[in-house]
Amino acid sequence: MKILVCIKQVPDSSETLELNPSTGWITYNPFTVFRMNRFDEYALEEALQLREQDPGTSVHALSVGPERVSSTLRRAMEMGSDCGVHLLMQQDEYISPVTVASAIASYARTRGYDLIITGVMAEDDMACMTGQLVAAILDLPSATSVIRVDHRTHDGSLEVDREIEGGTRISLLMDLPAVITVQSGINIPRYPSLSNVLRARSQPLELVRIEDLDIVPVRESCSGVKSPDSSIQGVYIDGTLREKALWLKELLHERAFLP
Amino acid sequence: MDREAFIVAELQQGRITQETLELVSFARGYAGGRLPAVLLTGRNIGEQAAELSEKTGCAIYQIQGDHLEVYSLEAYCAAIAEVVSERPSALVILPHSSMGSDLAPRLAVKMEAACITAVETVQGKTFIRSVCSGRYTAEIVPIAQSVVITVLPGACPPHTPESCPPGPITKVQATPRPGRTRILGIKEPLHRDSAVKEAEVIVSAGRGVGKKENLSLIRELAAFFPHSAVGASRPLCDMGWLEYGRQIGSTGQTVTPKLYIACGISGAIQHVAGIRGAQLVVAINTDPEAAIFRISHFCIVEDLTTFIPVLLEELKKG
Ligand SMILES: Cc1cc2nc3c(=O)[nH]c(=O)nc-3n(C[C@H](O)[C@H](O)[C@H](O)COP(=O)(O)OP(=O)(O)OC[C@H]3O[C@@H](n4cnc5c(N)ncnc54)[C@H](O)[C@@H]3O)c2cc1C
Ligand SMILES: Nc1ncnc2c1ncn2[C@@H]1O[C@H](COP(=O)(O)O)[C@@H](O)[C@H]1O
Repeated sequence: MKILVCIKQVPDSSETLELNPSTGWITYNPFTVFRMNRFDEYALEEALQLREQDPGTSVHALSVGPERVSSTLRRAMEMGSDCGVHLLMQQDEYISPVTVASAIASYARTRGYDLIITGVMAEDDMACMTGQLVAAILDLPSATSVIRVDHRTHDGSLEVDREIEGGTRISLLMDLPAVITVQSGINIPRYPSLSNVLRARSQPLELVRIEDLDIVPVRESCSGVKSPDSSIQGVYIDGTLREKALWLKELLHERAFLP
Repeated sequence: MDREAFIVAELQQGRITQETLELVSFARGYAGGRLPAVLLTGRNIGEQAAELSEKTGCAIYQIQGDHLEVYSLEAYCAAIAEVVSERPSALVILPHSSMGSDLAPRLAVKMEAACITAVETVQGKTFIRSVCSGRYTAEIVPIAQSVVITVLPGACPPHTPESCPPGPITKVQATPRPGRTRILGIKEPLHRDSAVKEAEVIVSAGRGVGKKENLSLIRELAAFFPHSAVGASRPLCDMGWLEYGRQIGSTGQTVTPKLYIACGISGAIQHVAGIRGAQLVVAINTDPEAAIFRISHFCIVEDLTTFIPVLLEELKKG
């Protein structure tokens, strides 16, 4: 099997982000640390486990973004992906999921992947749609929020469980090629091994410029980003740490939660 | 440009969901009070179509087929597209549920429409949604003629029935086509802990607890309350620190305690979906701008690993 895993680089914590009034988008400050989107760690691990079960399998990690995302692709190779593909896109402002999805689809279209795996959601834009868009653009079957994968080697199909509301699972049988979006908890993502770290250091990334890909025109734009309305907030408790503890204790007694 | 609004109704165990009625309100807000048309898909749904028509006054498309009994992406997408894809300019509104998230992007590609997910409100023709764990809100403006959106559950009050003439019902027979996916079965979760469901007080731990050992603080705090339970955000269950039966949220349990104490939980929409029925919410978080504080009644900006020990010390004094 030939597997493509889509990996997004996201800021480690939203606490270092700032708003840029001139672009109307989020900017990163010098303290912003980037890492792999957590859901994509699960996606990559699932691909690596499929490779372990079926040694003929290859796992390619792909990321769309500016130069900085190469560090996250290295991380993917350190975890064990066979190679890293960087779809270079300089823009660091709002990027439409359709742009990202069509870049991925355009790259994947002629390369014969049996399975494309994404995370269920990117922690920064929380769009929950890139994988589904890739599937729709390529006209492939897809399944979202996948929590179990079984590659049935006897007939070449993929059996998956989708997780829906309340933790209920729907089992599906899918023809390959297909796209799945992976939910957290499906596995326990591994740490890089020393041999993979060494290999990742010397192995070049495949670099493709977004301009050389077939990109669908954007269908929406972002007119601005704001801090949420501060009027919808609870009461912040003032004082020293102990004063806050005493205040909470008082509240718990007052509302009869404590005898 | 005026887009013709459609909502995609969702049934659960044959019943019309609350979210469906929320979508009716949302659509009316968008369209200056005008009612949307409702797309209802399923197998034997005559009764539900009549109920929706009476409750909302909306025009109903009753899209039927034996193959539509349970949700499947291919079948539902084809059935819905049959009605909406002819429209020059449509706004199709789905719930931001597992079905809506699965379906909206594919429908959007089919319609060459803009796709905007997890929308909270609409201002004019601008859709507002949260990004970066709820720290910011982004304003998204469609460019394409047609738009497919998913709306966050709970973002809108449900439509309340008023005396209105029932809406017309149009029956559409959907034709099954050979698909590339097949449903094998449905499995209920193995682990559902009735303790959190029944508790009056829930003390919940999130990734902010930092270390598994710190869970003892959460347990100790919970033990002070007579009818209490320890709950958790999804990542703690994913890491195996607590059982999935304790997971609160859209893919875990929906709880209705009198008091919910959120410790080191950022307040992601999927978590908050599970605690909308809590009467009182107190949150402890180091980040003063954490989204959890927007749905809390009382906000304590502290490190839980230093705050809870002091709180426990004071509680022990009686
Ligand atoms: C389809 C789908 C379904 C999902 N279903 C669920 C669900 O049912 N339930 C659920 O919970 N999640 C669910 N999630 C995951 C959800 O999106 C979030 O990723 C998750 O809720 C985050 O958990 P958290 O708040 O514990 O962690 P984080 O978001 O990492 O937040 C940790 C918080 O702790 C604070 N903190 C850090 N250190 C300290 C300290 N020392 N003291 C105090 N505070 C501290 C931080 O400021 C931060 O706010 C789902 C996601 C998807 C895509
Ligand atoms: N820039 C990107 N590069 C590679 N993969 C991406 C990118 N953006 C999103 N994805 C993939 O799509 C998933 C869902 O992202 P989103 O639709 O943005 O919530 C992520 O978990 C990634 O697997």
